[in-house]
Amino acid sequence: MRIKILNWTVILVFLFIFSGLLNMQLMQGKRFSELSSQNCIRLVPQEGSRGRVLDRWGSVIVDNGLSYNVMVSPAENGQVDKALQAASRILDGNFKSLKENFGKKGAVSFMPVTIARNVDIKKAIALEELKPELDNIMIQPYPLRSYPYARLACHVLGYLGEIDLWRLTKLANYGYKTRDIVGFGGIEEKYDYFLRQETGGLSVKVDHRGRSAGILGFRPPSNGKDIELTLDLRIQKIAEAALGGRKGSVIIMDPNNGQILAMANFPNFDPSIFVNKSFDSIARLFLDAHAPFINRAISGLYPAGSVFKPVVACAALETGKMNSSKTYVCAGKMRIGNRDFRCWDTHNKQDLTAAIADSCDVFFYRTGLLLGGQAIYDYAVKFGFSRPTSVDLPYESGGQVPSPLSRKITKFKNWFDGDTANLSIGQGELLVTPLQVLRMTAAFANKGFLVNPYVVKSIDGQELSGQKRKTALNLKDSTINYIRQGMRKAVSDPRGTANMLSGLKVACAGKTGTAEVSRRASHGWFTGFFPYQEPKYAICVFLENGGSGHAATAVAKAIIEEMDKQRIIQ
Amino acid sequence: MTPYFKILIIAVLIAVIGILSIYSSTYQKEGEFWQLVYKRQLLWFILGLAFFFLASKINYRGLWDITYFLYGTCLFLLLLVFVLGIVRLGAQRWLRFFWFSVQPSEIAKLATVIFLARYFSTKSLQDLSLNVNRLGITRSLFLPLFFVAIPMVLVLEQPDLGSAAMLLFIFLAMLFLAGVRKRYIFLILSAIVLCLPLLWHLMRDYQKDRLLVFLNPNLDPLGAGYTIIQSKIAIGSGGLFGKGWLSGTQSSLRFLPESHTDFIFATFAEEWGIAGCLALLFLYYSLIKEGILIARRCADNFGRLLALGISSSLALQVFVNISMNMGLAPVVGLPLPLMSYGGSSMFLTFISLGILANISKTRAIF
Repeated sequence: MRIKILNWTVILVFLFIFSGLLNMQLMQGKRFSELSSQNCIRLVPQEGSRGRVLDRWGSVIVDNGLSYNVMVSPAENGQVDKALQAASRILDGNFKSLKENFGKKGAVSFMPVTIARNVDIKKAIALEELKPELDNIMIQPYPLRSYPYARLACHVLGYLGEIDLWRLTKLANYGYKTRDIVGFGGIEEKYDYFLRQETGGLSVKVDHRGRSAGILGFRPPSNGKDIELTLDLRIQKIAEAALGGRKGSVIIMDPNNGQILAMANFPNFDPSIFVNKSFDSIARLFLDAHAPFINRAISGLYPAGSVFKPVVACAALETGKMNSSKTYVCAGKMRIGNRDFRCWDTHNKQDLTAAIADSCDVFFYRTGLLLGGQAIYDYAVKFGFSRPTSVDLPYESGGQVPSPLSRKITKFKNWFDGDTANLSIGQGELLVTPLQVLRMTAAFANKGFLVNPYVVKSIDGQELSGQKRKTALNLKDSTINYIRQGMRKAVSDPRGTANMLSGLKVACAGKTGTAEVSRRASHGWFTGFFPYQEPKYAICVFLENGGSGHAATAVAKAIIEEMDKQRIIQ
Repeated sequence: MTPYFKILIIAVLIAVIGILSIYSSTYQKEGEFWQLVYKRQLLWFILGLAFFFLASKINYRGLWDITYFLYGTCLFLLLLVFVLGIVRLGAQRWLRFFWFSVQPSEIAKLATVIFLARYFSTKSLQDLSLNVNRLGITRSLFLPLFFVAIPMVLVLEQPDLGSAAMLLFIFLAMLFLAGVRKRYIFLILSAIVLCLPLLWHLMRDYQKDRLLVFLNPNLDPLGAGYTIIQSKIAIGSGGLFGKGWLSGTQSSLRFLPESHTDFIFATFAEEWGIAGCLALLFLYYSLIKEGILIARRCADNFGRLLALGISSSLALQVFVNISMNMGLAPVVGLPLPLMSYGGSSMFLTFISLGILANISKTRAIF
């Protein structure tokens, strides 16, 4: 009887063990397998280098330098202290901070811990020589961004930093991980996917003390793709020099295809501070009220002022409300409703080309009133205002163009003639980016095409420009010619607002603008193109609170002069 | 096939599996000591076989006559451990004889089985059946408890909690199988339960740690809980068919401590998976089942109790060791019979099996 009980007990016990094994090995087998490989497989990462950035002629704007990281792998306690002591002697750092660096990360894992970054090559070699005695010191070469031209074109380039939570959630599906280094702003952000390198490395089997017990495999790191920009380094340098520390931006573009040759902004920043991790200067830049990280050329929204007048003129000519022979008399002011609208000067009798050349406000008040607000709005939209230009840079602003309709719909307010008058001279609620103004100018330069501006010419030799299109605006040739003549006259006519450019060897055409801002100094605008007959360059100069269009024209003059001097203009 | 051959074949199979696993867990370790481990186990195995043949040739009735001598010798050896024993892993459990070290606590297990088998197999005058159920509480409970308690306390003092607990389990199993009245068994069981808190205070710190990490291994994952976590990982990662012989990473890369002795089962399970475990469990079950069958066929009370005692002590050791490997029992130093590295355990198991074989052979003659 009791033997039977023994027999059954034994059977039950074995079934109990077997069911336990079923649970561990089959139900939870996968989890335990993972734990087992985590136990014994370590990846020693090896970084590839991020793609370089070149200008249109192939000179390197953003390069990769080699830096060296010092790593110490955990071993018996005394051995670590000895290694840290030796390292501190060579790195002139104090032992305590190295020990802290080590302790912070290396409490449990058997992975080597980075104790110092960006060690220069001499010190790296000195540390490497310690290896025979202290085999737990490792020197790992590490590619690091270097900027040979420092601040040059920093807003186009952007900078690098550790991925933030917002980007991580957005990009996690594309293989981005925490602590990845990604681009912020400029093409570093926009083309991060192409620029970024892939980390390879050795997978090593280790024993319980982290000592290598054989190599399982090696995946070579792959480098990021090089990106060639449309920027011309020579022109970019000239533009930045001409801007010379004044707040604002300069853009120079090929009006025929939208290739941006230079895009300069001030205030700017030095992207290498993010490489050196100088937190003080980074913090100071982020707190700067002048917003040095903003790419004013594409993200800044400003009133357009008189540079908007060609759009109004074009609308008037195209709709047939105006012809080339029509004249108005400017008496220095005009009464609309119960308010006087002033002109900046008294121009007497003027036709369209003269009004563009002299930037006569009264002429455009009248033209605008003839057209009506909605027609101006329609043509402004046609010229690409109120929406981004879809340039291949992040954080572009769209701007806004007011219209009777939208005011009615969004604000439940009426549109008055005063609003039309304001809009006709580019004031009021109109907000534009310098790049939008430049694109509008380019449409007159290339005789009627709206281009897509872009800065990236090719990725790893693969041309991208083929995909870029320009849209025909279907304007009459006569319209374009009149307005071009007006812009030319602004330079050639002694009374013209941009007359100071007339002394240049190359024939220019342009339009100045002085956009009034309440309580602060006016913004200065100049937008134009050259050579007049066969335009190769369209230029837009914008000076934030820079006083007047005159100051902006002076900047443009300096740029064109220098380009001519360096024989860039053929 | 005769029970004799069955036992022999199963034991040889298990021992060979053990040697293969020991080789797998040590072949990557550096040093002469580790390279010799599996060769020594092979030697213990061959010597163990010799002991098996010897034990199966000697009539087990002879054990009846020398029971007290065996018991006395066992106590003497246990005492000798405190004087001459070598200290390993913080415990004094081994006696050195020339080139061979003996673990007297292993001998104590078999000696206790033989002693209790003889004690309970006294016959009544009227018939040949056992008269244990007519004995009073003193003779059926206190007296045998006293005799078992002496070696148990000595083993506990080494300290060897696992073997001491094993002696207690063997005692309880023998009480049950000998037919002691159920109320006495309940009495001693409740007494043990009541004594458990007292035992807690008698335990050493590391033993307390082991019990605590048994309840929650993550209490101290790099200290006392490390072994059990690594052992569970080893067993679990085996999966269906295992990682293959010599391909286990947990044991050969030394993540699993004691992978060739107490945790040999984890090593085996990692490399052979649940398929291998099923085969191994079947082998152990067949061995124990064979012992029970021999006991049922045996007409002699002493022989029957002896066979039952040997089988149940084998079952207990297998159960406790595998449970410990799986994290279902606290970690106590207890080998897996026939598989774990160690001469004493191997010899004593083969001698026990030899006695079983002899009981099966001689039952007809008696």
